[in-house]
Amino acid sequence: MTKGSTTTAPSGNGHGHDRSPSGQSSGVPPHGAEPGPAHPRASWVVRRLRLTSLRIRMIAVCSVVALAAAVSSSGIAYWLNRDAVLKRTQDTALADFRNQLDRTVTALPLEPSCQDLQLAANVVATTGLRYDVAMTSPSCTVASLRSHYTAADVPDALRRQVEQPCMHCTTSPGQYHLFWQRVNLGGVPYLIGGTKVLPSGPTAYMFKSLDDEQRDLDSLAWSLGIATLLALVGAALLAQAAAATVLKPVARLAEAARRLGEGNLDTRLDVTGQDELAELSRTFNHTAAALEAQVDELSAREHASRRFVADMSHELRTPLTAMTAVTDILEDEADMLDPMIEPAVRLVVSETRRLTELVENLMEVTRFDAGTAKVVLDEVDIADLITSTIDARAWLDAVELDAPRGLVARLDPRRIDVVLANLIGNALKHGGSPVRVRAREESDAHGDWLVVEVADGGPGIPDDVLPHVFDRFFKADASRRRSEGSGLGLSIAMENARIHGGAITAANAADGAGAVFTLRLPKNPPIKDGITQ
Amino acid sequence: MNRVSHLLLIEDDDAIRTGLELALTRQGHRVSVAASGEDGLKLFKEQRPDLIVLDVMLPGIDGFEVCRRIRRTDQLPIILLTARSDDIDVVVGLESGADDYVVKPVQPRVLDARIRAVLRRGERESSDSAAFGDLVIDRNAMTVTKRGAELQLTPTELRLLLELSRRPGQALSRQQLLRLVWEHDYLGDSRLVDACVQRLRAKVEDVPSAPTLIRTVRGVGYRLDAPA
Repeated sequence: MTKGSTTTAPSGNGHGHDRSPSGQSSGVPPHGAEPGPAHPRASWVVRRLRLTSLRIRMIAVCSVVALAAAVSSSGIAYWLNRDAVLKRTQDTALADFRNQLDRTVTALPLEPSCQDLQLAANVVATTGLRYDVAMTSPSCTVASLRSHYTAADVPDALRRQVEQPCMHCTTSPGQYHLFWQRVNLGGVPYLIGGTKVLPSGPTAYMFKSLDDEQRDLDSLAWSLGIATLLALVGAALLAQAAAATVLKPVARLAEAARRLGEGNLDTRLDVTGQDELAELSRTFNHTAAALEAQVDELSAREHASRRFVADMSHELRTPLTAMTAVTDILEDEADMLDPMIEPAVRLVVSETRRLTELVENLMEVTRFDAGTAKVVLDEVDIADLITSTIDARAWLDAVELDAPRGLVARLDPRRIDVVLANLIGNALKHGGSPVRVRAREESDAHGDWLVVEVADGGPGIPDDVLPHVFDRFFKADASRRRSEGSGLGLSIAMENARIHGGAITAANAADGAGAVFTLRLPKNPPIKDGITQ
Repeated sequence: MNRVSHLLLIEDDDAIRTGLELALTRQGHRVSVAASGEDGLKLFKEQRPDLIVLDVMLPGIDGFEVCRRIRRTDQLPIILLTARSDDIDVVVGLESGADDYVVKPVQPRVLDARIRAVLRRGERESSDSAAFGDLVIDRNAMTVTKRGAELQLTPTELRLLLELSRRPGQALSRQQLLRLVWEHDYLGDSRLVDACVQRLRAKVEDVPSAPTLIRTVRGVGYRLDAPA
């Protein structure tokens, strides 16, 4: 057969080329929810989603890979098959048509009548391989019996090709040049072949239905489609399984890391296997162990140093008790002593008291640090408390008190006495009298508060000193290396306020007249009493 | 107080013992000293002092145990010398029967004031007696009887009962009681009151865990009621 130029009919519908990859969009993190410590549930959800999105990503990637593989292999298989099937059918039909024409048309007279043509067409159609035949000569146009189509149904392009003299076709006298085209006629694919029998002879067309082949190819496409779908489902399931095997250790790792972060330093993972995740788990365990060892060492060191301070203070207390016991005697006798000795005795007495105060404060600080400081709560009228504090220290003349009667709070009177004595003593020392003490009640969303303000008339606190006034051993005036206090007073006052669930703030008065320390205590502190009834 | 009171100081540390002995003697007391719990108990039986100042941390039997042993037979005032102010020590000490406590290092003046306050609690009053159910408080003889049997009360317990009985039906706050009974002129340790009330209940109530005489008034303090 001679190869013909063809304009291939628009046939064949593409299978799934443009199918969008599934599930991509749902892999995007859905909410902008920030994981926060205040919402453990929310952070759990976020973590869950993050894992889930990793799962979705794995499934999506596997599905895309499976889809691409299945579609490309099915596509190639389909097209190869289609080509082979069509080519075979086509070649057979065209060869047969040529043979039939050969045999029939050569028997026609030189100027065949329409009847002759009809006869020839019928013969070709009936003896050939189930195709319809149409013939045209300059005088008439015929179609074979029961033919659905005539020469009018032949596409113009094919017709022109057939009827033009073929310049480049090297035709030997006994041969016709046969052109063909596949077209869709009334929804059925047809192979149309056409040729001019001799330069002067009639033109013959054959219409070979490709319906059977189309059906075969359709069912092949269906099978391939179903196979692709199955491959896709299989891939998704495999990806899910793979994701589970990867994500379960990841989830365990995440859980372990969370617990480690919460301070459970003994958190460890069971390590099985030799894969990358096992390696990661092993690294996690090493890290946790190292961290635990380091924290243990640090806390042991800290504990030892605290222990040392506590023990030392305790040891200092015994000689101090003995010394304190006799200071009163020395003080009483000082007036009667030699004027050379008297100042020495007074120095010993006053320094013993200072040392005693320092040791007391150190002990108190170690109790706060060790968390062993206890609170003994009692219902106390704050006006009574402040009065007894200033009365016991003979400050009545130096303090202006503005406190309503009947303002009662639950607190540890001895601890708050220490706080007030510190604040008022501090104000007297740095601001001078009169010190104004104001007590009042306040309510906010967190409950009822007792507020005590201690204001002095001094120069106030420099701004660079303000943040440090509650620091231990911080002295506002660096040039005064020896101050009367232990340097622990305000820090102990702050700890005492904190242990009640309250706080102390330091500020300067708005009008620039002195410093103001504000003690805020909850009226009903959220702590347990030392002794219960 | 004119009469010279006789104190027994039990303290193991030589320096503290010497110092306190000097100071207390100077305050006008007669002081006997012992260096251990065992010696202290022996001296206590021989000399019958008016009051004991007792260190908690002692070699051998400790201060709590000494306190308990003395309380089995006697109701004389005991003041504990403790090294720690806010540990469980204080509670244990008070429950073992001490009347008051001071924290080391203590100023002799403070200790002396406490001693005198405790001793005053045992002083007689010229007053009548009062009955609360089957409990009779004789303020003149400073005795308390329950169904005719005399109760052994320490001076502090007796004073607490007297102060409560002076205001029957009226609630007294812990701080008020600390002022009245312990003569603390500042706001003191309310655990003293709680511990003393518990000991007192154990002696005067029929069922100490369900008191009918000394009632707790929530948020206020305590109240003595005549049973209905």
